[in-house]
Amino acid sequence: MSEHGESHIGFDSSDHQTAYIYGASGGGRDETVTERSTKRRKLRKTPKSKPVVNSGSIKFQGLLNGFENDDSALLRQYLFYKCWSQTDAQIQSILNDANEDALAEVTTFVNEVNSVEDGDRLPTSFIVSGPNIASQDLLFKQLSDRLGRDVDGSIVVLRSGDTTNLKAVLKHIIRTATQAGSEEEAFSTQRDGRKLLNYDLEILRAHVKNHGGESVVIAFQDSEAFDTQLLVDLIALFHSWRDRIPFVLLFGVATSVELFQERLPKAASRCLHGIQVDVEQSSAIIERIFKAVITSSREHLMLGPALLSTLLERQQDHVQSVQSFIAAIKYTYMCHFYGNSLSVMSDSIVTISENQFVLQQCQFEAIRTLSSFRTLVEDSLSSQRPERARNLLQNDDALGEEVAAALRARDSYILRLLRAVYVFESTNQEQDVSTLEVYITMAEGRMHSSNYLKRLLGSLRGMNPSDISIIIAKAIYCMKHGGHEGISANWAEDDDKFWEELQDIKSKVDTLSADAKEADAPIRSGDAIHSRGLRTTVIAQRVQLSYEQSTLTDAEKEFTALTERLSDILREYFTLGRPQELFLHEAWLCDSTESLRVFTPRPRAAIEDNLAEPQEYLISASGGKPGPSVSPATSMLYQRYLEAGSLINLADLWSSFLENSVGDEADEKAEREALMQFYGALADLKLLGMIKQSKKKADHVSKVLWKGL
Amino acid sequence: MTTSLFSLPNEVILSALAAQFPCRGQQIISLYTLVTTRGALSRNIVLHGLTATGKSAITKAILEKISTPALQDDIANPHPIEPTDQLRYAMIKSAECITGRHLLEQTIGAVAKAIGWEGNVGRCENVATLVVVVGKMMECWTESGDESVSRRLVLVFDAIDRQRDVPTTMLPALARMAETIPNLSSVYIVTAPRPNFLHRPGVPHIQFPSYTKAELLQIVSSLEPTPRLLTGSEDTKNVWTRFCPAVYDSLSKHSGRDILSFRHVCMSLWPRFIQPILDGTHYPTPFSRLLVANRSLFQNDGVLTPSIISPKTFNVKPQTQFKLPALASQLPFHTRLLLLASYLASFNPARTDITHFMKSALAKRRKKGGGTALTKSNAGTSKNRKISRKLLGPQAFVLERMLAIFMCLRDDAGGRKGNLKARRAALEDVNGSADVHTAIATLASLRLLVRMGVSNSADALDGGSRYKVAVGWEVVRVIGRSVGIEMEDYLAD
Repeated sequence: MSEHGESHIGFDSSDHQTAYIYGASGGGRDETVTERSTKRRKLRKTPKSKPVVNSGSIKFQGLLNGFENDDSALLRQYLFYKCWSQTDAQIQSILNDANEDALAEVTTFVNEVNSVEDGDRLPTSFIVSGPNIASQDLLFKQLSDRLGRDVDGSIVVLRSGDTTNLKAVLKHIIRTATQAGSEEEAFSTQRDGRKLLNYDLEILRAHVKNHGGESVVIAFQDSEAFDTQLLVDLIALFHSWRDRIPFVLLFGVATSVELFQERLPKAASRCLHGIQVDVEQSSAIIERIFKAVITSSREHLMLGPALLSTLLERQQDHVQSVQSFIAAIKYTYMCHFYGNSLSVMSDSIVTISENQFVLQQCQFEAIRTLSSFRTLVEDSLSSQRPERARNLLQNDDALGEEVAAALRARDSYILRLLRAVYVFESTNQEQDVSTLEVYITMAEGRMHSSNYLKRLLGSLRGMNPSDISIIIAKAIYCMKHGGHEGISANWAEDDDKFWEELQDIKSKVDTLSADAKEADAPIRSGDAIHSRGLRTTVIAQRVQLSYEQSTLTDAEKEFTALTERLSDILREYFTLGRPQELFLHEAWLCDSTESLRVFTPRPRAAIEDNLAEPQEYLISASGGKPGPSVSPATSMLYQRYLEAGSLINLADLWSSFLENSVGDEADEKAEREALMQFYGALADLKLLGMIKQSKKKADHVSKVLWKGL
Repeated sequence: MTTSLFSLPNEVILSALAAQFPCRGQQIISLYTLVTTRGALSRNIVLHGLTATGKSAITKAILEKISTPALQDDIANPHPIEPTDQLRYAMIKSAECITGRHLLEQTIGAVAKAIGWEGNVGRCENVATLVVVVGKMMECWTESGDESVSRRLVLVFDAIDRQRDVPTTMLPALARMAETIPNLSSVYIVTAPRPNFLHRPGVPHIQFPSYTKAELLQIVSSLEPTPRLLTGSEDTKNVWTRFCPAVYDSLSKHSGRDILSFRHVCMSLWPRFIQPILDGTHYPTPFSRLLVANRSLFQNDGVLTPSIISPKTFNVKPQTQFKLPALASQLPFHTRLLLLASYLASFNPARTDITHFMKSALAKRRKKGGGTALTKSNAGTSKNRKISRKLLGPQAFVLERMLAIFMCLRDDAGGRKGNLKARRAALEDVNGSADVHTAIATLASLRLLVRMGVSNSADALDGGSRYKVAVGWEVVRVIGRSVGIEMEDYLAD
């Protein structure tokens, strides 16, 4: 039902009923089936026209107990759409780019393959996409678009889900391949008037002959999930037709080509011959998407380190999927703008001072409840400025000014962070450092003690002047020309001290190395020599240990000092405070990992917990307090179930249940009541998939689920 | 027109065919005699033999030579058989027929095409219709020309024993058709016929035996290898004829002896074999020296399993290898653990689970092998269980048992970043999480886990559904090390 209609208008209350209730007087449902179906059809149309009507109105609810006015809610809504559409556009372009290489490679392969005729085997391309199955969908969509544009012929994409047997696959192939052509020919009759079966490849041959396509591309999107026998049949069949129909096969391989070949029998793999195409891995794409996200949305909100590290961890531990990463980020955006009334302030264009947007009274009150506000007041008290604290607490205008200042501070903080990450990235020598992790480390304020910085500074020590000069040049270059999307050029004025220091060190290092070149005495850093360890010299049968350091020249000493200075300023530059230390960070920092829990449901744990501790979830009828007295029959039976072995005798279970529910002396009525409950509970357990009829013994059930797994 | 009922085979055709297919003279003469109208004509003929013995190719070549194409006058075809005889043939490949009915449709189509039928061809639902329709067509065809010309149609059913989805009565029915319709012969090409599979006595069978060593060498030696030697074709020929027996003795003798694989191995080794000559480091004449220089080629049996990736891409492999790490590091952490747990569940017997995975017996668990006491107590069974479990292949396991093993492995697994507390919290989250089931479903759709019992229509993630692991020991050991688990510690025997 979900496919037709975004809203729930199409549903009625009986849709989720587990049993159909027959109402004799026509209650509940409509009298006749025909009438119902026409009514349904009408309803289906309505949701489509609705968004047009609603487009101008507010979908976001007013917060702060409804005190928030419509303008503010509308602004939040506007901000969300603006923010997300920007980010989404960038993400989409990254996704399109990401597969570009693979697409180009496949296209050239398909185009060239028929000129290099190897008639004996089927030309095949194995597209290794990594174990992220979700991304294959996008890849093959792009692939079929691209091939449809650039390749003369027809493309058929097969998915394991919609193909069950050979006949159905062939029908699908023939239908798709022949309808891709322009005219709708009566494809079941041949020219000589003979009727063909609709799975006869003869139809395809005739089509290819008539339209003169160069190749018929058959793409198996998730080749692993296909039935092996089906694949073998198809390969044999295509191979047999190869002299009449120019087949080209594409296999989406999620594991590896070796595993794929192992799975095929030799007779089939002998028919295949082709190339392997690797698709960019999801971790690299995620890195790029992350960069786009943090830079594109920096005017509005910042993704906090805790949130990002949770996301990253989830990627590593559970799913390596770009799509789920994007979904999580979108959800974070939604939560931020929908649930946080202060998120309106995250637009730096609409600032308080310009009076374009005036904060409401209730929003000022909301600000005063923030913990960062409390810190601010405490700070001003401790710095002996009680009037300021009083002003902040009582005067809205004063607070407004403070808010404007805070927003400016936020802008500079985020900009500073992004620049620091960027400079780090460009100066870093090591290959396998993830920008995402550097960002997280910096935003957590742990950079000065992190391994990343230690390794970077350590590598600086061992360098010679020209390397140092190159590194400084790199840093200067990115300060001058800006970085990737979003970091504007020429931020030298903002960080003039850092800038001047760099220039200074660079010029001195350059002079040193130029001098050294003239003197033909290479300059080494004192640390570099030191790290080589002790020198042993044997003089007159005595071993002498000596440090090289003593032999440093003046130039080398100066160079060592310069390196030290560079290390110091870099360390200082890369050390940032945590965003949580800033006033009003609640308005723009998304760092709640709670919201991500929606993506990691734990249904089984929840059900087991419910059954084990029902009193925590149910409030007993007497009084309002949780009562331990009577637990539901299902829960009671579940306890017995847990205590039992893997085969449970039903009679034993019943007697135990009876004793537990009514006690020893039970009259017949109570017993019947209990029996009814017992049956109900048993049916519940069966519905939950916990018990199964045992095949070994007729009056036993077997235990399927163990607790806590 | 007086023509004898019998004439000797046309030697010109025969010798041409024999030259085309060396070492198959006997079969060619037999088949030729059995299908020509003036030979020992037979209505049903069975050809049998293993793959790559030339059955289909020879049949096709013979029929092509002796048939009279529909629109071809006799001048173009200098000496076929007597111009008064008309023989046409139709070949039906079972490999291209999806169902039994498809086979019938294809047959009708092929017959209509072969005899130039111009009328409407209807649908053909079963063999009875086929007999009627083919009979009608044949009748029209025979009556169309003048009376004295004898006309004959040969139907060739290629690989009819591999036909999918076909009733058991189909073959006898086809054999019967050739008897009821005049002027029709059928040739059945099969791999290994059951005795009397046509339910008809006296059907001539022609066997196509596998090529012997001498025959293989004779055929392959007569091929022209590429690339040639620079010194001339004489040298090339000499080296090639000595190279082929060497390849046969070292590689092909013990593996695929059919001519296709032998030829493929020879052809693929040849360029590498003569590389030293082309480089100028060796000369073609002392062959033994060349052989010694190239001995590694004959020791590596990798060429016997043809790769599906063309060697062209192997040259650029080093770069792609860097970009694409092994499967082990591509899978997410918990998915890897699940795969390991599945392997253990498949290869450990369920009764040793307690010794390996009980929390209290941590020290004991490390001892490899575990249940020595168990095996001692019932010495009788240990005698039967001498085969290592690794060799017995994976056994099916219940999902719930695998999850229990997974929980144990999870506690032991190291190699993850992050402090201990955060790790604990993350591990707690896994408990009963939907992500675990997603991972299982992913593994199943990647066919790293194989679900047992197709008829079992219950949910794929039902606790009672049974799975089997589909990766080998080598893969698992690497994956185990990537998550800090030494798999030997957990395996029984």
